[in-house]
Amino acid sequence: MDDEKIIVCRCEDITLKEIRDLIKEGFTTVEEIKRVSRAGMGPCQGKTCGPIIAREISRITGKPIEEVYKPHNRPPFGGIFFKEIVGETDEK
Amino acid sequence: MNVAIFEEKEFLGGQLIKQTHKFFGSKDESAGIRGIYIAKNLINEIEKTENIDLYLNSMVMGYYEDGVITALVNNKMEKFIPKKVIIATGAFEKSIPFENDDLPGVFGAGAVQTLMNVYGILPGKDVLMIGSGNIGLIVSYQLAQARANVKGIVEISDHIGGYLVHASKVRRLGIPIYTQHTIVKALGKNKVEGAIIENIQTHEKKEISCDVICLATGLMPLSDILNQINCEMKYIPELGGFVPIRDENLKTTVENVFVAGDVAGIEEATAAMLEGELTGLYAAYEITGKFDKRINTIKERLKDLRKTSSKVVNGLKKLNLYEDFIVEPHESLGDLHKTGIPEEEKIENLLSSKKERFAILECFQKIPCNPCVSSCPTNAIKMDGLNEIPKLDYDKCIGCGNCVAVCPGLAIFVIDKKKESVILPYEFYPLPEKGEFVEILDREGNLLERNQVLSIRKMKDKTNLIEVKVSKENLKHSRHIRVVR
Amino acid sequence: MKNRAAVVIIGGGINGVSIAYNLAKAGVKDVIVLEKKFLAYGATGRCGAGVRQQWGTKQNCILSRESVKIFENIKDELKVDIDIEFKQKGYLLLAFTEKEWNQFHKNVQLQNSLGINSKLLSPQEAKEIVPFLNTEKLLGAAYYEKDGHANPFLTTLAYAKAAEKLGVKIYKGVEVFDIHVKEGKIKGVYTNHGYIATEKIVNAAGGWSQEIGKMVGVDLPVYSERHEILATEPVNEILGPMVMSFSYNIYCQQTPHGSFVMGYGPKETSKSMRSTWQFLETMAKKVTYLLPPTKNLRVVRQWAGYYNISPDRQPIVSSCNEVEGFYMAIGFSGHGFMLAPAVGVIMKDIILGNKLTWDVVLDIGRFERNEIIKEPSVV
Ligand SMILES: Cc1cc2nc3c(=O)[nH]c(=O)nc-3n(C[C@H](O)[C@H](O)[C@H](O)COP(=O)(O)OP(=O)(O)OC[C@H]3O[C@@H](n4cnc5c(N)ncnc54)[C@H](O)[C@@H]3O)c2cc1C
Ligand code: FES
Repeated sequence: MDDEKIIVCRCEDITLKEIRDLIKEGFTTVEEIKRVSRAGMGPCQGKTCGPIIAREISRITGKPIEEVYKPHNRPPFGGIFFKEIVGETDEK
Repeated sequence: MNVAIFEEKEFLGGQLIKQTHKFFGSKDESAGIRGIYIAKNLINEIEKTENIDLYLNSMVMGYYEDGVITALVNNKMEKFIPKKVIIATGAFEKSIPFENDDLPGVFGAGAVQTLMNVYGILPGKDVLMIGSGNIGLIVSYQLAQARANVKGIVEISDHIGGYLVHASKVRRLGIPIYTQHTIVKALGKNKVEGAIIENIQTHEKKEISCDVICLATGLMPLSDILNQINCEMKYIPELGGFVPIRDENLKTTVENVFVAGDVAGIEEATAAMLEGELTGLYAAYEITGKFDKRINTIKERLKDLRKTSSKVVNGLKKLNLYEDFIVEPHESLGDLHKTGIPEEEKIENLLSSKKERFAILECFQKIPCNPCVSSCPTNAIKMDGLNEIPKLDYDKCIGCGNCVAVCPGLAIFVIDKKKESVILPYEFYPLPEKGEFVEILDREGNLLERNQVLSIRKMKDKTNLIEVKVSKENLKHSRHIRVVR
Repeated sequence: MKNRAAVVIIGGGINGVSIAYNLAKAGVKDVIVLEKKFLAYGATGRCGAGVRQQWGTKQNCILSRESVKIFENIKDELKVDIDIEFKQKGYLLLAFTEKEWNQFHKNVQLQNSLGINSKLLSPQEAKEIVPFLNTEKLLGAAYYEKDGHANPFLTTLAYAKAAEKLGVKIYKGVEVFDIHVKEGKIKGVYTNHGYIATEKIVNAAGGWSQEIGKMVGVDLPVYSERHEILATEPVNEILGPMVMSFSYNIYCQQTPHGSFVMGYGPKETSKSMRSTWQFLETMAKKVTYLLPPTKNLRVVRQWAGYYNISPDRQPIVSSCNEVEGFYMAIGFSGHGFMLAPAVGVIMKDIILGNKLTWDVVLDIGRFERNEIIKEPSVV
């Protein structure tokens, strides 16, 4: 498999190769990888890529998933427009 | 008590309304009914109930330390302070990485089901399914019903993940299941034109041309809101990943917060419905002190249902639930587990009767399901428990075909040795006409012969019964028909 | 893990790694950084990462001016191939009250005298820089185009890599839970991975620095307070500078990645690290009033971190009279990211007993000497 062509984080366009390189550099938790690479900061907030990255770290380092990944979610779930918060729906 | 339901979509029903197949389970829990109708019944109940406020198109976005829930209602952020909160946000699909996995044409199974069953759109013509769990098998079947060409089902493990009756259903359509295989690459420049799959043992590769790759690689609890309020979670692969730690009443580690359904661990609709009832009543019990008897009966029913789901029960044990619950060990089903095709010997056993016309119950796996029992007018089908294998009393069986029509697994057939005919369940369109010559297919979808349709029984719930003439040697092999015009 | 070190730095935020790098660069061997979670877990990874030189006190001006020089040449300085995404698109500070406008006049004079060429703008001129700015009630603005923003994770990472190249050992997941002091002298630290003998400890624990102080029996004059912040989904570049107002209480910027990041100072202090719906609501009102097109931006994340506040809103970079070998770089009061490059240099001077590279007074004794001039320009 050509890991440069495998997109792990679709939201932020990050490949398996980039993730593997970061793991080799010593970033061995999903949270750290998110901070250095933005993988997991996209619209889905890491729902899709978080588990994949976790499995990859676990596979490479031999650590159990619980040690490398703690899903941690920041509100607002799903995203919200400022106008929806202030209650202004007029587009103009 | 006032109840408010928040639903992100414009309709209620969640995954259920995408399920056009019949559910297993006990007659008491809507067994034999198609998921979509179960959903419709529940929705009707809800709409009839005055003290339920429905917020559709309303996504819950935040659950904050001070107990405030924010939701996006009619494009405006609104705030609510509930006494009790039940989180039943279900699950989302896991995806697996492979080369070119970002090509248009790579879909999740949920998206394919929504397109197909909610909006009536086919995502493509030739589909490769990844994953042979119940979702992969069922969506493959539904795709075939919608006249897509399913090129195969790829399964990394050495056995089929879903119920074997579902596997048999797709096999007789001629869909191969590649166990011990995985997808390594999507082919195509701007869209999917094919895929390369690989045998994980021999590393032998195979190219399959297709315009859709459908991922049915499992579900994970959608626990965002639980994580926001710091519910304690535990990683339990048997339940799909991180699940909330909770007690037997589905109460989480955060005061006043309860869970039900897939968000508490990936299981099935029947379990989810019972969990919903349990946790709803328990939340009400905490407020009113009532309902304790009903709560206990539901717990018993849940236990009963889980008798054969060793995976789920083992997962629950890790949460210190069901601690002294004993799961029946899995019996070996031999090749059936790898291929979806029952072994010769097992079929021969069913055929040993001297009678001319009788039902054949190709039901070999213990699953919680019993609609056949009560469908029989002569009480010929017996089951020792919800999870047992049904046994047919050949002396009583009159070969009426009622059970053929109700079996959610489409695993029952009637053969008539004298008339040289078989009654098959049929869920495809167009229906053949009486007297029409159709292709008779075997358990792997291979053509056995062309022969005549003797009768058609159109059933209310759309599993129609087709009786076809077949030659003597093909009686025990004929399991599906194809209408060719 | 090593069990002895010349210097143990507690905290893997931007200041911890900057100090480690500068010590190693000056030839100190056996420097260890201990981080309880992972690099930039604390305020550094949660901050707005704005970099401004328009301050109201001489110290803050000098520290930020010198830090910007380092940010501008970070690759030459650190010799690691990491782009810290330093962007200089200016800071636009808005004045809505007379008092504030007068202060801006004073600030700009001070800044100009220190080589920071900021200037005052009329509301009209401010609108030229940010065309969609709501200038209602705006009296004027201060602007400096050399202010800007950097990526806090990558900056921390760059410093960490550079430090490691010079022999520093950085241990993640190692939490200090007590400090061994004997006869007023540092002897070592107790961690969840064992004891490390050392005679010098640097407290760079940000929001947790008070707790570290308690471990050596010193009550540090700082406190931590929750500050909330949010980010939107990325959009095309529409906002050049960081827009900031002290009286209206807001800062807002667009990062090079395209997302908007913004926050304001809390009305009440909280020790919780959780975010609130009140912040989301108030922030939405503020920003859509001041920068109306933002109403079409979608918020994707809100979070919180600690400001570690000192009495005069300027950092305490100092040794400690009570305990020999105990050093601290704390109390950054919401601007510790931008000052970190210079703080690393100063801390190195202090530990090595050198004359300070720049003319600043950051020692903890200043509060007793009553030599404090409070920074007037903070959110
Ligand atoms: C919302 C917000 C916005 C901000 N905006 C800006 C801005 O625009 N520009 C700017 O310059 N600054 C800004 N700041 C301030 C800036 O983030 C901080 O001043 C700076 O990051 C402090 O860095 P530090 O290294 O001192 O502390 P931190 O980054 O907090 O690092 C301390 C580290 O110590 C670790 N630690 C604590 N206790 C222990 C222990 N016992 N053992 C081991 N490790 C321990 C922690 O895990 C943490 O990683 C902002 C802050 C916040 C919260
Ligand atoms: S896939 Fe990584 S953030 Fe969405």
